[in-house]
Amino acid sequence: MKILVVDDEQIVLNSCKRVLEADGFEVFPVTSAQKALTTLEQEGFSLVLIDVKMPERDGMYLIEEVKKKWPDMPMIVMSGYDIPETIEEAAKIGAPIFIAKPFTPDELLAKVRQVIG
Amino acid sequence: MLSEATNRVRLDLNAAREIYETRIKAIRSPLGVTTLGFGFLSALKTHDAPELVNRLRRLAQNAELDFAGVVTSERTTLCRIGPHSIPKEAVQAANPIANLALDRGVAISGTVVLSKEFLSAEDPELADRAAIRLLPTPRAAPRDEKQETSGMALMAAIPVFDGGDLLGALYGGVLLNRGQAIVDKVRDTVFQQEIYKGRSIGTATIFFNDLRISTNVLAPDGKRAIGTRVSKEVKEHVLDKGERWTDRAFVVSDWYITAYEPIEDIFGNRVGMLYVGVLEEKYVDIRRKALSILVLMTVAGMGLAVGLGYLLADKIMRPVHRLIAASQKVSEGNLSPEIGPISRDEIGVLQNTFKNMIVSLEERDRRRRAESDNRLLQSEKQASIGRLAAGVAHEINNPLTGVLTYTHMLLRRRDIGDDIRSDLETIAQSTERVRRIVKGLLDFSRQTKLDREPTEVNRLVDSTVSLIENQALVKGLSIKFNPGENLPVLTLDRNQVQSVLFNIIMNALDATEPGGKITISTGISLSARDGGKKGVEIAVADTGCGIAPEDLDKLFDPFFTTKEVGQGTGLGLAVSYGIVQRHGGTIRVQSEAGRGSTFTIWLPVDETPERHENTRS
Repeated sequence: MKILVVDDEQIVLNSCKRVLEADGFEVFPVTSAQKALTTLEQEGFSLVLIDVKMPERDGMYLIEEVKKKWPDMPMIVMSGYDIPETIEEAAKIGAPIFIAKPFTPDELLAKVRQVIG
Repeated sequence: MLSEATNRVRLDLNAAREIYETRIKAIRSPLGVTTLGFGFLSALKTHDAPELVNRLRRLAQNAELDFAGVVTSERTTLCRIGPHSIPKEAVQAANPIANLALDRGVAISGTVVLSKEFLSAEDPELADRAAIRLLPTPRAAPRDEKQETSGMALMAAIPVFDGGDLLGALYGGVLLNRGQAIVDKVRDTVFQQEIYKGRSIGTATIFFNDLRISTNVLAPDGKRAIGTRVSKEVKEHVLDKGERWTDRAFVVSDWYITAYEPIEDIFGNRVGMLYVGVLEEKYVDIRRKALSILVLMTVAGMGLAVGLGYLLADKIMRPVHRLIAASQKVSEGNLSPEIGPISRDEIGVLQNTFKNMIVSLEERDRRRRAESDNRLLQSEKQASIGRLAAGVAHEINNPLTGVLTYTHMLLRRRDIGDDIRSDLETIAQSTERVRRIVKGLLDFSRQTKLDREPTEVNRLVDSTVSLIENQALVKGLSIKFNPGENLPVLTLDRNQVQSVLFNIIMNALDATEPGGKITISTGISLSARDGGKKGVEIAVADTGCGIAPEDLDKLFDPFFTTKEVGQGTGLGLAVSYGIVQRHGGTIRVQSEAGRGSTFTIWLPVDETPERHENTRS
């Protein structure tokens, strides 16, 4: 199964790739919302892992775009700014699953499995 | 003042008239007595002129008569007291009063106008006395003659009878012209010789027609104003119309308050006037004096009032003004104004009350300032930490994700030795700690809106206690909840308040050694502040180590912790404090080192009771 990970921080991309690949997922890391949309055009994904705070277009924009073009695409929102307002806003636009950074491998895998079984 | 003078002058005129009449009686009576004498009668019967003259002279002396004589029934003068006592003239001047008495056969007395001829016959000196030159008088009615030669006299004539036969008449009188007796008597008895500025204030005059013939009104030269005349106005009223006149009048050279009345002679003709007057100047002066006294009294009164006012100001108003100024200063924020020395009267009570008020104001102000300083500090801390946390959390959490995931990935490997595994676990634990701190910072910084809902406090406490109960049992502590009865339902953010409770109870757990006791109780309580507002209190008491007095102040500061390194973030109570504060409540701490601590959360009762009613059902 292919997972698209979107984050402007390389270390977060690396961490996700390391954890998820170890569990058998195919991981495509991209560093911006724009790149994520381009990639999504080209390939089919089982899940998109989206960071909220990014330069230029942020995670909320990306969630809305994905929701418009691929309404059934599962998404997980991640943020280092773990406050109820962020979680609520993401849920409101169609991404109710949230994981707070930092996370352990087990916590990440638990969320992923919650979404894509 | 002047009308009083007018009244007085009227009375004075009556008195003058009385004196005038009395003088007439004083002529008539002795004459009457004389006619009754036997010697007189027999001398008259025998026409014994020398004898009669002797008797007449005695009579005239006694009765102060200017002239006297006897007229026969033939109306010729038999004899008189003057130099020509036995008449020698060919034609005798008519004796009006004697003739009238003979005609009527009764005694007659009164005022009589006597011709120059009559007077000359009686005594040439009398004619000289009677002759008065008319002096030019302003305001007088014009008169042609230059001199008055007739005289005006007070006379009496008594007819004398022998049986039924009329023998003749005895007559006598006084000449008024240039006479002083009557007018001076009026002045001396009625005005009692009052002198005003060298002048007699009261004056009296007898007028023959409009001519002053007997007066003590003085002319400017200081002599009696004989020969001057009355004003035309008075003459018309009194002589022509026969009326009394009472008014201000210009007499010779001064203004007088005057009264005039006509004098009628024995035939009923108005022949003269009787006058009394009071110098107006005296009354004007009296009025002026009274007025100046009034003014003086007014000025003195005002002076006295000002003086008293000053004294009052000194004694009463000055402290009051000081108090007013002090109040002004207090309202401007100066709580130690000068109020001056304390008086011993009611003002002093006011001053003391004011002082006490200032002291309590000061006390309250100080308390308020301390509280608000505290609050200010608290919210400043919160705000700066919030900004810091918001900026930093994101940055820290990203690298932390790397540390945490890679450490855990390494720990998954089976080909590592125990020493490496132990090192990796230390890294993982430390990272967990950093994660908690950052999470705490975020929680602390967030000014999360409260999601309030009606909450039964006892139920909330109960559920929180059950979450912790197991941990307490594990640690060997007893935890007990004493729910208060009839607590009002509060509208609270359940989750946040629960986290506060959780935090405080967990702190109690950490502070208490095995065997210790934690007691949680709830109850209705009135706030110490906000005027005793009603609220619900949740008290968490432990039998733990207590808090050192020097730590009590810092207890709610962010990052303040007494726990071992790695055990606490120092944010729990700071966050709790913020939550309770946002609910309008307070957290109090009582602690005794070694005996335990009590944390008391007070939450106010919501002021919309109907909501409570709804949610209860």
